[in-house]
Amino acid sequence: MWFTVNIYRRLIAVQLKAQLQYRAAFLLEIAAAAITLFMFFGALALVFHRFGQLGGWSLAEVAFLWGLVELAFGLMDLTFSGFDPGDFGQRVRKGSFDQILLRPLSPTLQLLGADFPVRRLGRIIQGGVILWIALALLDLTWTPLKLAYLPLVLVSQIGFFGGLFIIGATITFWTVESIEAINIFTYGGSELIAYPMHIYPAGLRRFFTYIIPAAFLNYYPALFLLDKPDPFHLPAWTPCLTPVAGFGLLGLALLFWRFGIRYYQSTGT
Amino acid sequence: MSIIKVTNLQKYFKVAKHQRGLWGSLRSLITREYEPVRAVDGISFEIQPGELIGYLGPNGAGKSTTIKILTGLLVPSGGEVLVNGYVPWRERRRYVARIGAVFGQRTTLWWDLPVIESLDLLKHIYQIPAEQYRRNLAEFRELLQLDAFLNTPVRSLSLGQRMRADICAALLHNPDLLFLDEPTIGLDVVAKERIRQFIRHINQERGTTVILTTHDLSDVAKLCRRVMIIDRGQLLFDGRLGALQHRFGGRRELVVDLADDYPHAGVDGARIAHRDGQRVTYQFEPGHITASELIGRISARYRILDLAVREPDIEATIRRIYEERLLEKTGPMLGSNGYR
Repeated sequence: MWFTVNIYRRLIAVQLKAQLQYRAAFLLEIAAAAITLFMFFGALALVFHRFGQLGGWSLAEVAFLWGLVELAFGLMDLTFSGFDPGDFGQRVRKGSFDQILLRPLSPTLQLLGADFPVRRLGRIIQGGVILWIALALLDLTWTPLKLAYLPLVLVSQIGFFGGLFIIGATITFWTVESIEAINIFTYGGSELIAYPMHIYPAGLRRFFTYIIPAAFLNYYPALFLLDKPDPFHLPAWTPCLTPVAGFGLLGLALLFWRFGIRYYQSTGT
Repeated sequence: MSIIKVTNLQKYFKVAKHQRGLWGSLRSLITREYEPVRAVDGISFEIQPGELIGYLGPNGAGKSTTIKILTGLLVPSGGEVLVNGYVPWRERRRYVARIGAVFGQRTTLWWDLPVIESLDLLKHIYQIPAEQYRRNLAEFRELLQLDAFLNTPVRSLSLGQRMRADICAALLHNPDLLFLDEPTIGLDVVAKERIRQFIRHINQERGTTVILTTHDLSDVAKLCRRVMIIDRGQLLFDGRLGALQHRFGGRRELVVDLADDYPHAGVDGARIAHRDGQRVTYQFEPGHITASELIGRISARYRILDLAVREPDIEATIRRIYEERLLEKTGPMLGSNGYR
């Protein structure tokens, strides 16, 4: 265990050191994130100026959904970048995944340590700032339960998106042509749950509730934290499903990942 | 006790059949037909600790499939492999901790990091004791002349420098077995020679077993006592390079500068391979006629100014073996010279 932590720490340290050489890219990304932040608020404010609300939700409430997902996705992207399906597909195609299998370390640990894109800090800060503004505007009634629940939601979302990344990476063992299709679920999913689920058509909403359980990761936690009624009348314990959906998906993804490595070892490239 | 024992190793791949035309490609979206390809088709061999083996074969012969199985990257379709007491793909992580592998086309080092930092990271990954790491690094720095670029990021290294760094990286943990896949590809003569000397050193001084695949036959000629040749998934030759050359190397050449432009420079027992004015190149079979007999016959008819005997070149021999499939026609030569 100590060995794993130590190696992970070293792999990340090495990534940080390597990226210090590209300071310009880092600063540009932060600047881009700041601009995006203003544009987002500008666009959203225009929408709210015209319609007053979005599906009955105020600007601050939607900003809460948006900021939370943005923060979680950014943190996930920082830690799970080695599994980014596009990059990983390249790795498999170029044969450099073999180099990973040649080292006496778990491939999962090596990929977690294979990339740590600091420039994603832009997105993380942006998500954090929007979440913070939303919380400041909302004037929530905090209970100890809610205080403990919010970080759990964040971690569950990281696990959920990480799981989607791992599933996407694993699929590239079979085909690299479907990366765009996989991105619909990861990037598309994160965009989708940044808005209240009840604004979507029933089919889409059900798909992202029961097939890909994305709704349990942001919408239902928000209903609970913001004390809003559930328009779909799911049981009161539904917010408890957040970690189940997040870590359940991550667990399934890791099983699939193992299966994929076994497939890779039987076919090569 | 052999360090590698391979018995009836097989690896089949399924390759999707290409369907013709628009209808065909539409159909292949739904049902794909597969054709089995026998990449490795029943090969067996044993390697003793401390051997330095050249593993040869034309492209697509099954060479890299064998190496991938031996390094634990691929699971075979059939047969048995025991390396260093492990079944490579079954106990991969424990197994790879005791081997080193360099694939000439790729690097195991971190692209953006100075070489020394990659090596330091490997020290922790392989849990190399500090003293062993220090001693090995000092030795390899000198033998591979790493000092000039130890602090250069890997992405800025020349091919030869990168290869030296990679070979160093593969040996820091004192592996029992070293796999080298095309370690001299694309290098100049000096760089090649330096790497060959190092491989010989590691093999002789440390007793590390080395398996070398290469296209460069001078690597093999200079380094390997034993050679294995694979083609179409089958082992066609396993023995000394000399035995191969003796059997197929065949023709030696005699290059003669004649004193005059003789219209017919022919003699019995040799054929004229090439003629350029007064310079004539004769080819002859060593079994049929000796060089001195041939020289005697030529000088009896023509006046000779100068001459040189050229030995058959292994490269040409091996190429002939591949192209004319000589081993398939005459039957494989296995286990000659006391191997197996």
